[in-house]
Amino acid sequence: MKKILIVDDEKDIVETLAFMLKSKGFECICAYDGEEGLKLAKESSPDLIILDVMMPKINGYKICRLLKYDSKYKNIPIIMVTARSQEEDKIIGEETGADEYITKPFEFNDIIEAINRYLG
Amino acid sequence: MPKILLISELNETTREISQYIEQNDCKYFLCEQNEENILRQVEEINPSIILIDVDYNNAEFLTKQIKTQTQAQNTQVILLLDKNQDIAYLNFADGFITKPINKNILIHTLNSHIKIKKTLEQMSENNKELARSLYQLNVLYNTSSQFTGTLDKSKLYKIMLEALEKTLSFDISSALLFDSQGEAKLYINSLCEPTENLKEALGMRLVLSYKNLFEKQTLPHDITLDGIEIVQNIKPSHIQNIFDLRVLNYDSLFAPIKVGEDFFGVIELFRKTPFLKEDVTCFQTLIHQVALPLRSATLYEEIKNTNIKLERLERLKSDFVSIVSHELRTPLTPINNSLEIVLSEQAGPISDDAKNFINMAKRNVVRLSGIIEDLLDLSRVQTGKLDFKYKVANLAPSLELIQKTFEQSGQEKNITVSLDVEKNLPEVYADTHRVEQIISNLVTNALKFTPEGGSIKITAKKIDSGEINQELLVSPFYPLSGEYVKISTKDTGIGIKKEDIPKIFEKFSQIENSLTRNIGGVGLGLSITKQLLDAHLGAITVESKEGEGSDFSVYLPLTDEKKCFIMDINQALGCTEEVGILSIKENENCGFIEEILNQNLIKLTKKSKELKLKDKYFALLVNINQSALEFMEKSVMEEAKKPQWEKCGIVLKKVFSKQDGKDLLKILNKINL
Repeated sequence: MKKILIVDDEKDIVETLAFMLKSKGFECICAYDGEEGLKLAKESSPDLIILDVMMPKINGYKICRLLKYDSKYKNIPIIMVTARSQEEDKIIGEETGADEYITKPFEFNDIIEAINRYLG
Repeated sequence: MPKILLISELNETTREISQYIEQNDCKYFLCEQNEENILRQVEEINPSIILIDVDYNNAEFLTKQIKTQTQAQNTQVILLLDKNQDIAYLNFADGFITKPINKNILIHTLNSHIKIKKTLEQMSENNKELARSLYQLNVLYNTSSQFTGTLDKSKLYKIMLEALEKTLSFDISSALLFDSQGEAKLYINSLCEPTENLKEALGMRLVLSYKNLFEKQTLPHDITLDGIEIVQNIKPSHIQNIFDLRVLNYDSLFAPIKVGEDFFGVIELFRKTPFLKEDVTCFQTLIHQVALPLRSATLYEEIKNTNIKLERLERLKSDFVSIVSHELRTPLTPINNSLEIVLSEQAGPISDDAKNFINMAKRNVVRLSGIIEDLLDLSRVQTGKLDFKYKVANLAPSLELIQKTFEQSGQEKNITVSLDVEKNLPEVYADTHRVEQIISNLVTNALKFTPEGGSIKITAKKIDSGEINQELLVSPFYPLSGEYVKISTKDTGIGIKKEDIPKIFEKFSQIENSLTRNIGGVGLGLSITKQLLDAHLGAITVESKEGEGSDFSVYLPLTDEKKCFIMDINQALGCTEEVGILSIKENENCGFIEEILNQNLIKLTKKSKELKLKDKYFALLVNINQSALEFMEKSVMEEAKKPQWEKCGIVLKKVFSKQDGKDLLKILNKINL
């Protein structure tokens, strides 16, 4: 079973997303802030990460960069979920190395399609 | 009584003379001491006439000394000569009388010389006054030019006080001056340190006088003396001396500082020596002079504050839109997710009715997120934050993609969506993603307003600006010229009334228009479309007949050097705060500009751009403040005058701030690239 790490400070989003992914046969682990997300990404070796941008402690772009510039983790596909907010605008444009961007609110189909591109 | 000094030995002649003098109602002094005493006496008595007996010892020395060394220059020196006596120093004296004395001649001579002395004194007094007035005038003149040089209230007050000090040499001045918030300060300028009592008294006098001015009307500014700030300025050389309440007995001048209804304060001056008529005139002139620039300063401050407020409001508005959209988007995500889960029956089976309603909810979530998307785009377009990625592009693939997407949605309403693209459609300089957004907006609208069984035709072809029907144009942002790609969407919908056409491009137009409200949407689509087209230097026309359908056509300029250049500059404007633009004809080497900037520590910022147009024009966008911009304008233009740049034909066309991108475009257009 493929393991997916979901990192988002919005519990409702994590919960619904995890439910849906589980029903599609994925194993899900969840983190609710950037720090926890980075820790789990390194410890639980997920097959793919779904990452929110604006989060407390460490923002998603930074996590993405930290993982993508680390040879140990750089092969884990990362899907960034963005709300296109003003704060995001300020940090955007930096090279993050994310594999995929999806705008909130998203359709499950879009997420599933994206996941399948990397894990299918 | 005129005083007459007689310098002689006591003898018959002098006795005679003194008799006559006293008879003539004059005061008479006789000197026969040594020269030093005589000279001192001359200074002390300051006589109208000095009679010197030439037979007296040292008569020559005394005559010369009195006329050249003493303050008594106007004093008439008359020599007593013997008949036929000839002396070399006669021309130092003012007149002579021969001995023996003839009474009538003596009296007559004395009287006319007394008159001469009086006239001379009057003249020198007048001269002094004239000099003073001239000086005052000079100060007034200088001050008036200083007044026009500033719009800063406190500076104006300072200039006024300095000028008063120079012209009227007052001992102490007190002024109650109001700032733009109506807060008063007490300014005391003094030669000596004033006592606390005096300061309080001065303040009280001014407050009372101020209140007296508006006896029966409301005061322009409320005032209490408690806690009023005192700004004190004392001449450092007199710091040991003290002014106490006795100063209030000095001569004083008072005036309100005002123009018409605008009131700025009151001022009072004190001087030990009485003020003259000219002083009063000078005082009033100065006070009147300062009032006018003070009013300008007030107006200027008001405008500045309003501007700051407006800017803040504008920023708040766009921040608000952006934040709200983000905040709306986040909760929308789990709502959408949950609906999808229920719909997919992963969380258990649901009835068909329930499915219908959940579907309804889901459709509206999609609609809501579309509106949020529009709102965000709009706020970004307006704040210049929307990024355009211009490139030379063929639009045909984009149009095909749109047709395919909308073909499906059309089928639901039984509407055909067709596409007809001219063969070899020329390329345009555009952000294809934004062009897709523009056309999608138009087709979405067409679908919305076209009843079942209708059709939507998308066509694309090249046309010349001359073929565009000017009457149908919707306020083009950039004048049309040259060739364009015209993309039309023609529907068989409900159409738009002619008078409503301009309105549909306004923000939230549908909210205001109750007729179309039931169709849905908030009417941001066309407003965004228009703004996106403006950025592309494009245009839009609308042709519509109620009940028959509408034809929206957008025009995108063919790849054109000048237009690309302008679009690039406009795009770059979004990245810099202040912008300086130089355009240089037949550019050979513009390195010197950078050199000048570097020398003066004006750094080109990371995001500043150098844009070139076929070696002919050159624009430099720098992120610097206004004064640096002005400096740049000056120094670069000076450099450009040098013969070695003659060939380059450098034109620096004004320096702009980002404030108004539209103005910039207009001016750039005038440069006649």
